[in-house]
Amino acid sequence: MSKQKKILLLICAFVLASLVSIILLNKSHSVNKAYITNQGEDSVSVVNLDTLKLEKKISVGKSPLGISIVNSKDIAVVGNIESQSLSIIDLKVNEVIKTIPIDATPLGIVADADGSRVFITSWFKNQVLVLSTHDLTISEAFNVGATPSGITFNEDYNLIIIANRDENTLEMYDAESFKLKKVLAVGSHPYGVSTGNHLVFSANVYDDTVSIVNLQNWEQKTIAVGMHPYSVAANQDRLFVANSQGDNITVINLNNLQEVKLLDAGETPENIAIDAINDKLVSTNWGSDSVTVYDLNTLEQIAEIKTGLQSRSFGQFIYRK
Amino acid sequence: MNKFILFLVTLIFSASILAHGPTPQKVQESVTVNVSPEKAWELVKDFGAISTWLSAAKETKIEKRGEDTYRIITLESGDKLDEKLRSTDEDLKKIRWEITKGNVPFTDFNAYMIVSKGSNDNESVIQWTARFYRVYKLNPPIPEGQDDATAKAAVQGFVDSGLAGLKKVLESK
Repeated sequence: MSKQKKILLLICAFVLASLVSIILLNKSHSVNKAYITNQGEDSVSVVNLDTLKLEKKISVGKSPLGISIVNSKDIAVVGNIESQSLSIIDLKVNEVIKTIPIDATPLGIVADADGSRVFITSWFKNQVLVLSTHDLTISEAFNVGATPSGITFNEDYNLIIIANRDENTLEMYDAESFKLKKVLAVGSHPYGVSTGNHLVFSANVYDDTVSIVNLQNWEQKTIAVGMHPYSVAANQDRLFVANSQGDNITVINLNNLQEVKLLDAGETPENIAIDAINDKLVSTNWGSDSVTVYDLNTLEQIAEIKTGLQSRSFGQFIYRK
Repeated sequence: MNKFILFLVTLIFSASILAHGPTPQKVQESVTVNVSPEKAWELVKDFGAISTWLSAAKETKIEKRGEDTYRIITLESGDKLDEKLRSTDEDLKKIRWEITKGNVPFTDFNAYMIVSKGSNDNESVIQWTARFYRVYKLNPPIPEGQDDATAKAAVQGFVDSGLAGLKKVLESK
């Protein structure tokens, strides 16, 4: 081998080694965690989705239900039903850094695209509260229809979308002016909502269906799912629905709206979130006080992990860095 | 008089589709029974047999409504409860049902029972999980007798006596 070739080979080896170490380094620095509100014991469980172990329990306010992870700010906003407050968790140290009294019952929670604002449905007062993540104060509130429950944010259309459970409607508000843009009748008792691209999904608890709304033309489709669906989550090609009384999760192909598979869940699965980076799906099981983790590619169950009493986590509860 | 008002309020709320409060209550208890899981499951899944092991259920009648199976329970008090069978899973030995109508101090009640194997082949564990809400569904202050504690105490009573009854009946067979 000529000297030049040897040098070239050495350079190649060096570059390769550097690449490998960069990849490994990134891998070891990645964070994939699920934050689970345990409504029966006033805590949030931190579940490590790499090791599949319960890492920590954090005490929060009374009866925590809703949650939203604000990735860009490294915080979680937790809504405490009975103490009528928000607990703010610093995700880097997993500690509550602030408790905000709101004089309202917080249900659904969602962050906007850059994480500067967090929107919270106020159940009894028929409002949406706006939390500024800059100073962690409620900066304003706007009125909405009755029994606002699930809430989601569509970045492309700059819309805040809420489910008005007892009115059987979805309301869509402009995320800057907070003006009502559209009200749509959906199935009976819509609770959880989510959105992706130009689609909005609502889980309609009483008629065992999911409504799919196309934001481009307001066209709507209704599909039958399992018993008492509570929440929905979608990625590019698939829709996942937690059937709280079916004890299972319906997987729908978004291209043809056919059922791909029915996944066994724990008891009373309520909420689901997708870890898109690691292709995992996590469901919270209110009845069995646990979460179930699935592989999104094989649609097989990977693990069931005990979390805490009455695990719910209504909202986007996965933190990834 | 108070009982009458409670009855009226319960009736009004159970008839309406008004919001329930956002915190579901949970009662989850289990009992170990000295019979095989198969034997225990045979009784647990028999939807019409509840009066044989729940003393508060004086009489039970099975009723078919279309595809659905209901049991109409007459309670000791004379009040009636309509319960709808939601599902029966033979593999998991799990039965699910819900209350669709009734004068009880709780609402939106659904429940399931699971029979699993105990420490040996002739031992089983029956677990009963109930999910429900209080009667008063609006913002606090909550009227007396319509709060979470009242709802929970009532369901706890049913569950405790039901599991004790199941054990007694199964072990004396």
